[in-house]
Amino acid sequence: MRKTKGPGVNLARGEKHTNPTSDPDEMAIRALGITKAFGTRKAVDEVSFELPEGAFLSIFGPNGAGKTTLLRVLSTLARPSAGEAYICGVDLRENPDEARGLIGLISHQSMLYPDLTAEENLMLYARLYGVADPQARVSELLDAVGLSHRRLDQVRTFSRGMTQRISIARALVHDPKVVFLDEPYSGLDPHAVDIFDELIESVRGNRTFVMVSHDLAKGFAMCTHALVLARGRIVTYARKDDLDFADFSALYRDTVGMGVA
Amino acid sequence: MGRPSTFTQYKTLLAKDIRQEFRTREMLTSMGIYALLVIIVYGAALALTANGIDVMKMGGGLLWVLIVFTSLLGLGRSFAHEKEQGCMEGILLVPLDRSVVFLAKATANILFMLAVEVIAVPLFYFFFMSGEPVAPTFLAIVAPLVVGTVGMAGIGTMLSTITMNTRSRDVMLAVLFIPLIYPLLYACVTATTAAIAGTEFWMDFFVMPLVLACGYDVVMLLVCWVLYDFVVGA
Repeated sequence: MRKTKGPGVNLARGEKHTNPTSDPDEMAIRALGITKAFGTRKAVDEVSFELPEGAFLSIFGPNGAGKTTLLRVLSTLARPSAGEAYICGVDLRENPDEARGLIGLISHQSMLYPDLTAEENLMLYARLYGVADPQARVSELLDAVGLSHRRLDQVRTFSRGMTQRISIARALVHDPKVVFLDEPYSGLDPHAVDIFDELIESVRGNRTFVMVSHDLAKGFAMCTHALVLARGRIVTYARKDDLDFADFSALYRDTVGMGVA
Repeated sequence: MGRPSTFTQYKTLLAKDIRQEFRTREMLTSMGIYALLVIIVYGAALALTANGIDVMKMGGGLLWVLIVFTSLLGLGRSFAHEKEQGCMEGILLVPLDRSVVFLAKATANILFMLAVEVIAVPLFYFFFMSGEPVAPTFLAIVAPLVVGTVGMAGIGTMLSTITMNTRSRDVMLAVLFIPLIYPLLYACVTATTAAIAGTEFWMDFFVMPLVLACGYDVVMLLVCWVLYDFVVGA
């Protein structure tokens, strides 16, 4: 795999969000001054941060803070207006296809075809990604998400929780190194949330996760790093070990409550 | 894990579209019923005037009116499944050439449109032309039908992608589609009419329009193929 280290970290606004001694090769994600503008409005404004491999980053922020837009840029679904981003050292602008092979995305939308069966959906993605033995991989994933017995049923007949479990399998079918979760709990009942959490924990391994969430307590409990966005800018970005939850939640409340967003 | 060939990805996407359509029959059913209704309307419209007009000379135009509006209905639905549950984004997350998505979707649309034409054209013939003497060139209508369908499916697939996320996508699709296919439509109507009615100027009224239609297809499909990456990226 060809890797592009990119320029050294020298960030005007984002310098405080990076570790100057960090090795770019060990970083799962490097965002350098990412900006995404829609017309004159900047949804993401010079966001810079580095996330080491194996980390779990939770991104918090009020509605319209730019969380989903940032995730879309990092997952190659949107082109940044300015800035650079690297996934495991691969430049998203220069080698988007190579980066896509390293990325999985689980969203509140399942990205599954409702009229196809669970197995057909997973086989579709496995073949498109070029998985070596698609049938074996799909069977393995269906076992992992506990839905082997429903493999021949159309996704349309699944509950929201089951659909989200298949969605996890879809996102992992090509064994990505970085997994993005965009508000994955939307519409899930508490039981389905528990199952989803267990599944994510079971597939975590040494993968890097980035999750956008409105649930501060849950997001904080799962993460190793936390980032708060408001008006497209980073309010705070730190390792969880360096944060106290009470202080962090107070900061978050102030960010949202004071109308920063 | 190696990246599969472009052809493998094309086949996979095409098989998905065909499997999905045969399971739901959404496009085929709606296009088929619509074509039948248009034929019924033609029947009512021509019932009192059939003796006074030469249906054979109008046949090409009437047939293409049926095909254009039936196609619009199908093309408008062709990305409905991709939009539902964010499936298009799931496909765009895969490392594949965006033009493969276009080619697979356009091929599926060609197949579905041709499938409807296979039923609609004989019905049209049966209701409006079966009593008339048939020109020996009649079967040549297959050529303009295929060339026109390929062009309309390609252009329609592109426009359907562009209008997929617009508020009034059906109207937008029609507003963009008909002006863009007009040269192709004109050429195909001319060639189809020449084949149905027969003409002594075969070269001028069949071959030349057909060559122009083929050229238009090639140019427009190439433009769509090249621009598709930009369209889905935007």
